[in-house]
Amino acid sequence: MKLDPRTKLFMILVVSIIAMMSATTPLLWAIRLSITLIPIILLIVEKKYSSALKFLIAYVTALVLTFCFLSSESEGLLSSLLIGYCGIVVQFMPALITAWYVIRTTKIGEFMSCMQKMHVPDGLSVSLAVVMRFFPTIKEEYSSINDAMRMRGVMFGGGNVLKMFEFRMIPLLFSCVNIGEELSAAAITRGLGGETKRSSVVELRLGVFDYLLMTFLTAATVFFVVYKYFL
Amino acid sequence: MENKSNRLKAKDFITIGIFAAILFAVEFAFGMLGYIHPYIVAAYVVILPLASGIPMMLFYTKVEKFGMITILSVLLAIIMFVGGMGYLGAPLIIASGLIADFIAKSGKYKRFKKIVVSFGVFNLWICANYFPILVTADSYRQDLIDGGYSAEYVNNLFGAINVKTIGVLIVLRFIFGCIGAVLGKAVVKKHFEKAGIV
Repeated sequence: MKLDPRTKLFMILVVSIIAMMSATTPLLWAIRLSITLIPIILLIVEKKYSSALKFLIAYVTALVLTFCFLSSESEGLLSSLLIGYCGIVVQFMPALITAWYVIRTTKIGEFMSCMQKMHVPDGLSVSLAVVMRFFPTIKEEYSSINDAMRMRGVMFGGGNVLKMFEFRMIPLLFSCVNIGEELSAAAITRGLGGETKRSSVVELRLGVFDYLLMTFLTAATVFFVVYKYFL
Repeated sequence: MENKSNRLKAKDFITIGIFAAILFAVEFAFGMLGYIHPYIVAAYVVILPLASGIPMMLFYTKVEKFGMITILSVLLAIIMFVGGMGYLGAPLIIASGLIADFIAKSGKYKRFKKIVVSFGVFNLWICANYFPILVTADSYRQDLIDGGYSAEYVNNLFGAINVKTIGVLIVLRFIFGCIGAVLGKAVVKKHFEKAGIV
């Protein structure tokens, strides 16, 4: 099963809209949960078992903690830390999972051709594609910087917060700038920024699953808004 | 010929994309701290300009044409939206990017004083994330409590950020934006100009 990038973008939109509005009644929670489950199921379908499992465990733990142990009356340091953790996870996890799924399963070529079909200006789509591609790179570079520092015996920058920040930030910027140069050289040789309209190897077509999923997502959004604000 | 060299090229777009990703990574790393205590959320106005000063000053050395800062702010608005920060702040983020762009353009993207002011204005995007707290205060408050936050956290949050303090926060953000620009410039000079990378 292969989803069209347009469906994926629509899914991001819907999930972030629903994640933004808080769920108050059980019905709203049900909609929110089902919206969160879709990307997890899709991750499983795409055989990304470990990340699907990780997301699922984190989300379920946070939900259970929120509902069973925390209320608006809880106070104290431990519970405020827990609330912090659960707040992040419950609030941002759905959007995060969806974004992760989209980044992991969309090829840049597909993404660009989809943006072209939607008549998004070239500048915006190129920048967005770079952003999408770049998050994993930043993570990778960051961990190799950490490895290099450990090898040299620099652990935390001598306990100095500023140094800690500087030691990580500067090499990261160095490598990112260099990668950027290489990336633009590679992109320009492939004709990016040329005058003529670019063609695409990938032909995008909306399939049955796309329509089904889009219908479901639209219905979920409508239900959510109607039940929250009008009933 | 003049017109042509002023247009943004593929290389510029790639630069913008990279710096948007870096800025978001910095924002995300520090943003997580906000969940420990609501006062840290208010302290973003101090922390984030200082932290993002370095990448932004490096970005400013690469900006030569109008539009790059604006597109950067559009990207940040999109990422914020996807990250579940809400749509209310998005126009504000883009507006601050546009104004910052104009200010930097008036200095031809070279004069350091203009760049400092421009970065100060650009930092308004941090305040844009406070927007839901201000505009929809009552419903947002209820939303947070229903969403599993404790009343203590929410009270502190609204005590730190409300209509009265936002003026102070905006001024603080601007001041620290300027400080961040100066510090960032110093770091860029120390590391990058010596290495000949800019």
